Amino acid sequence: MKRSRVWLGIGLAGGFLALLHGSATAADPSQEVKAPAAQEAAGPGTAAAPPAVTITVDQSSLDNGGTLQISGTAPAGKPVYIEVTSEQKVRASRFDADLDKDTGKRPYILYMTEDMPAFYKLFMPKEQKEALEKLKNEGSKWSVSKALKDLGADAAYSAPAKAGIDRYQATLLGSVIGSRGELLAKMDAKENRKRSMQLLKAKFRSPGKVFGAEVEVMPDGTFKAAVKIGQGLAPGKYSVVAAVDKSTRSQAAVFENKISFPYVYLGNAGASVNLFYPFFLALAVMIFGVMMGAGGGFILNPLLVTLFPLPHTVVAGTVMPTVLFSQGSGIYNYSKIKFISWKVGVAIGLSTIAGGFLGPKLTELVTLEQYKFIFGWILIGLSALMLWQTMPGYLAKNKKEQAILKEFKKRAEEAAKGATKDTEPRRAA
Amino acid sequence: MHVQFWGQEFKINVWVGCALGFLMAIVSSMFGFGGGPFMIAIMTLALGMPMYLAVGSSLLVIFFNTVTGSVRHFQFGNFDLVFFLIMFPAGLLGGWIAPQITKRVSPVVAKRVAVVGLGILSLNLLGVF
Repeated sequence: MKRSRVWLGIGLAGGFLALLHGSATAADPSQEVKAPAAQEAAGPGTAAAPPAVTITVDQSSLDNGGTLQISGTAPAGKPVYIEVTSEQKVRASRFDADLDKDTGKRPYILYMTEDMPAFYKLFMPKEQKEALEKLKNEGSKWSVSKALKDLGADAAYSAPAKAGIDRYQATLLGSVIGSRGELLAKMDAKENRKRSMQLLKAKFRSPGKVFGAEVEVMPDGTFKAAVKIGQGLAPGKYSVVAAVDKSTRSQAAVFENKISFPYVYLGNAGASVNLFYPFFLALAVMIFGVMMGAGGGFILNPLLVTLFPLPHTVVAGTVMPTVLFSQGSGIYNYSKIKFISWKVGVAIGLSTIAGGFLGPKLTELVTLEQYKFIFGWILIGLSALMLWQTMPGYLAKNKKEQAILKEFKKRAEEAAKGATKDTEPRRAA
Repeated sequence: MHVQFWGQEFKINVWVGCALGFLMAIVSSMFGFGGGPFMIAIMTLALGMPMYLAVGSSLLVIFFNTVTGSVRHFQFGNFDLVFFLIMFPAGLLGGWIAPQITKRVSPVVAKRVAVVGLGILSLNLLGVF
């Protein structure tokens, strides 16, 4: 609490300083706005133009993120929205299997674009802060189109709507094995815009990632905003555009975000990471995971999504094949010390394939959230039972466990003596 | 099905294992987490397998699930090559280091490690983090 106040204080002080700096160095444009007479004298060509929107940014380049001071002018009395868009594009996709209320059918259409901006954020007037907070608390059910309407930002939403979206008619079974299905005809601009909003949500997920309420609009139409560009975002050029309505938009102000080693840009995730962090994180988690007979993905996924600005889809889709290697390597190394039963593993493994096909179909029939809760408690019960299995009372009754423990102690002693360094795995029957 | 481990014979009901494995795969593919923690619990609790044997066999079981899941994610364009190249050596290394640790700790300790893992997943599912 206290800390956030300190940061707020620093931010405000910084903003004030930047404002002083801005008004000192850019004295000419501000005069232009306040004194139309001077403008006429400077150039007759610009005088007759309607009160357009102008925008400037205080820095032309950022080093892996930073805070950008944006200022400009707009017609007095209108709310100003600022769109910050990266030039770097990424892929976004969404599989629409939601029940269509009109037809009562599930469409099974895969929407996919390669043109989603790697970074997109729409900043609105500060007055919308409360409404935005409310939206953030709504949970995962929020929709971009409703949010834009509620926040009055519908007209300002522009950049992602231009992304060309392909759609594929998939079958459910096809989608389970990963077939995209048949490519359908292109959508018109309006439909494309609507679908782009769904893809925006699929890509960025939470309202806080795509919306901000930082724009301070003065009664005379000048506006300013301190915009934070986080660490680990896409490198390259970003454009900043101010809009008051559909037709009244400013020219784009441009800044560049620079990324240098050990940060690397992940082209499909649309974000940059320090390459050492995911490596060591994955290593620690996978050692733990393989020790307990799992891959480790169930810990790695939430950690990566929390710690880095990465989309959950790409995290899940990349962790899965990574886990394949930790499991594969684990299987190989466990098999060398004979900690594996091929018969049991393959028999149950084949039965899981069938289950894996059925799961996605069932997802349509149940509400996930409430079931998550149930399985959480089931798992707590199971872990309690497993813990009980490690208690002396249980072990005392179980002769086989005792025999294995005894054998373990014997082997450990032998290993400690160093005499049987290499016989250990071979003796395992 | 009879399985030998360190001179002890374990009678394992594979049908129960397959039925539970089938259910586990449905649940894990629905919620998008690997079935590993569930599998290890099934093997130690329902099938009565010793912990050492359960860790390796559980990995083998969920490997099948991971293969189909990976293919699906790849087709849907969720795969990032650079990200993968950063992490997959960690996967190979982790899969080598973990068995070295497991064989040096007692099966009781190994089982408690799994209890911690199960606890983490359950808290995640309950929305604690």
